[in-house]
Amino acid sequence: MSSDRVGIIGIGQSEFRSHRDDASYPELVREGVVRAMQDAGLDFDAIQAVVYSLSPDAMVGIGNAERLGVDAVGARNKPFLRINNGGATGISAVAAAYYHVASGMFDVVLTAGADKIGECGDSQTVLNKIWDPSYERPLPLGTINMLAMSAVRYMDRYGMTQEDMARVTVKNRRHAALNPKAHLRRIVTIDDVLESRIISWPIKLLDCCPQSSGGAAMVLASEQFIRDNHLDAVWITGVGHSAETYWMGDRMGNNPTAEHADAYALGRSFEKSYRMAGITDPERQVHVAELYAPFSNTEFHSIDAARLVAHRGESVARLRDGEFEIGGRIPVNPSGGTLCTNAIAVTAMARVAEVALQVWGRAGDHQVNGARLGIASGNGGDHQIFGTMVIEA
Amino acid sequence: MGMRVQPGVIGCTIRPAIASRDRSLEEMIYDTVQLALADAAISIDDIDGIVVAANDQFDGRSISVMMASGPVGGVDRDIMSTPSASEHAFILGALRVATGQFRTQLVVSWSPTEVSSMSEAQRLGADPYFHRALPLDELSAHALQASAIEHVQPNARAAATAVAEKNRAHGRLAWPDPPLQPAAGPLRWPIMPTMTSAPVTGSVAMVLAASDFVAERGVRDVAWLRGMGWATEPSFLGDRDLATAPALAAAARQAYEAAGIADAATAFDLVEVTDATPYAELLAYEALSLCPRPEWAARTADGSFARGGRVPVNLSGGVLTWNPVFCTGLIRIAEVANQIRGRAGAHQVANARSGLAHAGSGFAMQYQSAIVLAKEARP
Repeated sequence: MSSDRVGIIGIGQSEFRSHRDDASYPELVREGVVRAMQDAGLDFDAIQAVVYSLSPDAMVGIGNAERLGVDAVGARNKPFLRINNGGATGISAVAAAYYHVASGMFDVVLTAGADKIGECGDSQTVLNKIWDPSYERPLPLGTINMLAMSAVRYMDRYGMTQEDMARVTVKNRRHAALNPKAHLRRIVTIDDVLESRIISWPIKLLDCCPQSSGGAAMVLASEQFIRDNHLDAVWITGVGHSAETYWMGDRMGNNPTAEHADAYALGRSFEKSYRMAGITDPERQVHVAELYAPFSNTEFHSIDAARLVAHRGESVARLRDGEFEIGGRIPVNPSGGTLCTNAIAVTAMARVAEVALQVWGRAGDHQVNGARLGIASGNGGDHQIFGTMVIEA
Repeated sequence: MGMRVQPGVIGCTIRPAIASRDRSLEEMIYDTVQLALADAAISIDDIDGIVVAANDQFDGRSISVMMASGPVGGVDRDIMSTPSASEHAFILGALRVATGQFRTQLVVSWSPTEVSSMSEAQRLGADPYFHRALPLDELSAHALQASAIEHVQPNARAAATAVAEKNRAHGRLAWPDPPLQPAAGPLRWPIMPTMTSAPVTGSVAMVLAASDFVAERGVRDVAWLRGMGWATEPSFLGDRDLATAPALAAAARQAYEAAGIADAATAFDLVEVTDATPYAELLAYEALSLCPRPEWAARTADGSFARGGRVPVNLSGGVLTWNPVFCTGLIRIAEVANQIRGRAGAHQVANARSGLAHAGSGFAMQYQSAIVLAKEARP
């Protein structure tokens, strides 16, 4: 056994709701931190460095809002930096914390953050500002119509229907009903989804993630520290990132560099994570997956990119067969996923946290039996920057 | 604990003032990256990973890294972004090389000036209930810090004036015709026009490589990372003693311990500090153990920190000469790397073998970092 591994020793997630009027922004950060520290059984003196997880400042309405979280994460006079990879921020922050430990410089590192998307007014107004100010903002682009275009192309290429998209929501809501942390937990039917109002065709209201407020934190440690202190842990065995072009037009039309229907760079990131973890046959080696999919259609190309099916587009048929349900072949988003909870700054961190809880056997009512190896992903920018991880018991 | 793999700086480009309006921000970043790659004598195909740092408010975008992924070569490559400080991009890039999982890292930061009011953009970073309404921008916070220092340290203003004169003299040698702050009278009392400089557009890129890559490619001009430390102060100014810099002292302890430095005052051939104001430079002297505060006046008067002095500080002219606001921290690190590599140009100091970079940013230097670079790899 290598002594260079990096383990997860503490996980904390706050309650996620549309509004958290009971907690200020720093208090919301603190909520996840306290739970992670209690879970790790450590006090703050043990934390040697902190990685702050926060995506666009404009969601909070404060420039460099991580500065206001310094005391909430106990970072005064300690190494502290922030990650912002858009929606991938949470998994990128865990990756940055991983690099802190894997570098050999630190034994124990905390990563934490929070978001109050439900209180930012309208996240799509903020997210319109991620695009080129001259050409794309005035369209107007948002992340919903951005991924509606992906859905249309996926329908054309692989035969996905609106009913198939609805099946993703139905599955994930059923999972979320088992997860007390999830924001949207009401079970819905295919008809409920199909009859919900169109937001940007073919995406309807119930194909969309909510705007959530909440926080999360994780404590990572070196294998030596974990052994010396007789701590329980699960292990990060694969880490990767990859990016696509900023320009969505270059993902469409003739001979695109990366097809917008798919998630090319997500696949490349998984390739890297799998190679690092020694995974050669993910269809058989992966037991559980938490894949960042804020709209129902994007779960399909995420499953394809993670190679949980033999070829692109096969995820549609396999989902119809129930293979990605809890109890199925490879449960995908047993927590309910991003579709049921999306506090953007920590959403991708929650993907890692939920997979860690699964392989740890601590996921509660949404536990996947026998899960020993899981994968997580995060997507940021205009479906552009992707982070992935492999977590093992 | 030490790094598993020692990173070294093998390429740098500092573009401290970009006046041209015929290049977009994307093209400016592309140019900077290409120059850094050329300086390292490698191509983008040799880059394993990228870390960028930019400020959404200055860029006028919600996620600055998105636009930059193409110009920095991030497409189909491992890219991460830190918006907290430009120097944090160096730190994360170095950590990634130190893991042994990356052989190279490209580190890039930029700071445009197209925002209608830099002060207003900075005010957005203040707490919305208590500080934003003051109004508080970075210069105001620096001025509060200067006032706090003057309150407890006699002769601080004379020492600060001497620091400003020193850095301007250095700047005249390093860069022709530096712009002077046009305002008259105190900008924010007690900060005088000669104690700071107007924001300019700038960018900086660095290439880091692992020791095995350096050996394999036969790279000769390397600035090896011997130690680095970074730390943060709390966010509320009222929670801080602005006349002290405990986070920088903590950062220096980390860096010196890693580098095996017992006496910082005699350890370095040159030092670059983030002189957002000369008071910030004075505070750095103390926190970096270069000079205790009772000696500020004497040491600044006798030229100890001037070219030819005991430890030259800010041979580049520092931020007082050029102020591309967000990337001034990473520029300090790049300046020291260039000196160690013998590529500093007109302000090159002879036989530079060991250098210290201090990077500070945020309100009254909330974020503090200390980076030790040397000609020789670690023993």
